[in-house]
Amino acid sequence: MDDFQIGEDTAFVVDEVSTIVKEAVEGAIGGNAYQHNRVNQWTNNVVEQCLTQLSKLGKPFKYIVTCIIMQKNGAGLQTACSCFWDNTTDGSCTVRWENKSMYCIVSVFGLAI
Amino acid sequence: MSDFAREKAAQLVKKRASLSSLGSHEVRAKESAYKAKDSTSTVSYIDEHGHHDDIPRPPVQMENTYQLDSAGHPEGRAGQLPPGREVVKARVKDLMIPRYKIIVVISIGQLADHSMQMSSRCLWDAANDTCASHTFKNSSLFAVANVYGVYFE
Repeated sequence: MDDFQIGEDTAFVVDEVSTIVKEAVEGAIGGNAYQHNRVNQWTNNVVEQCLTQLSKLGKPFKYIVTCIIMQKNGAGLQTACSCFWDNTTDGSCTVRWENKSMYCIVSVFGLAI
Repeated sequence: MSDFAREKAAQLVKKRASLSSLGSHEVRAKESAYKAKDSTSTVSYIDEHGHHDDIPRPPVQMENTYQLDSAGHPEGRAGQLPPGREVVKARVKDLMIPRYKIIVVISIGQLADHSMQMSSRCLWDAANDTCASHTFKNSSLFAVANVYGVYFE
């Protein structure tokens, strides 16, 4: 039972992380249309809010958060990632968000210390 | 007690997500979507069932080296072309930098009349962890490659 509790506290839980990311995105850009002069501030807000909430989880992880905001204009975008890590302890989560005028893709990578 | 712990560990392991050496077209194994008023979001991750043994293996433990003066940083590696996630990762692995975990993120997009902003921020040990980035552009497409190196203490 002790082993399980230790595992739960030190695991990368995708649901938890995706909730944090969705809230950060909605808070930063929800309800806004794409504006070129504000997008820099929006991406910073999204990643900072994500990192703040992730660090509050208090888990022994290093985090990498990336955010892409792209205007909807019919163009295509492909993103991919490949990770050389420990599969049993590390994890990642990608959230794709969109509204009428833009796409937002946020990836969170958690690496156990 | 051990059976209960094992069951719980198995459930826990299923919840974990990891993405390694897979093409982006395979990242559709599990998606959950929800619609808000005027926006949608989807979450993707993969459960690698094939990698979970029935008998849980003890995790490989690496001792702390207490060597914070780590030599070798993955700087300048992202400058190698042609872009291609596996090519970049293979070349970074060729460096054989010990005790570093590597994450390679590639974005390729069509050059059209639109704008885009990419940002990343990291919560790590700034003395030992770092990243490298490179952008490639031609008449029809652009590609951005980011390589993150995280020291495994």
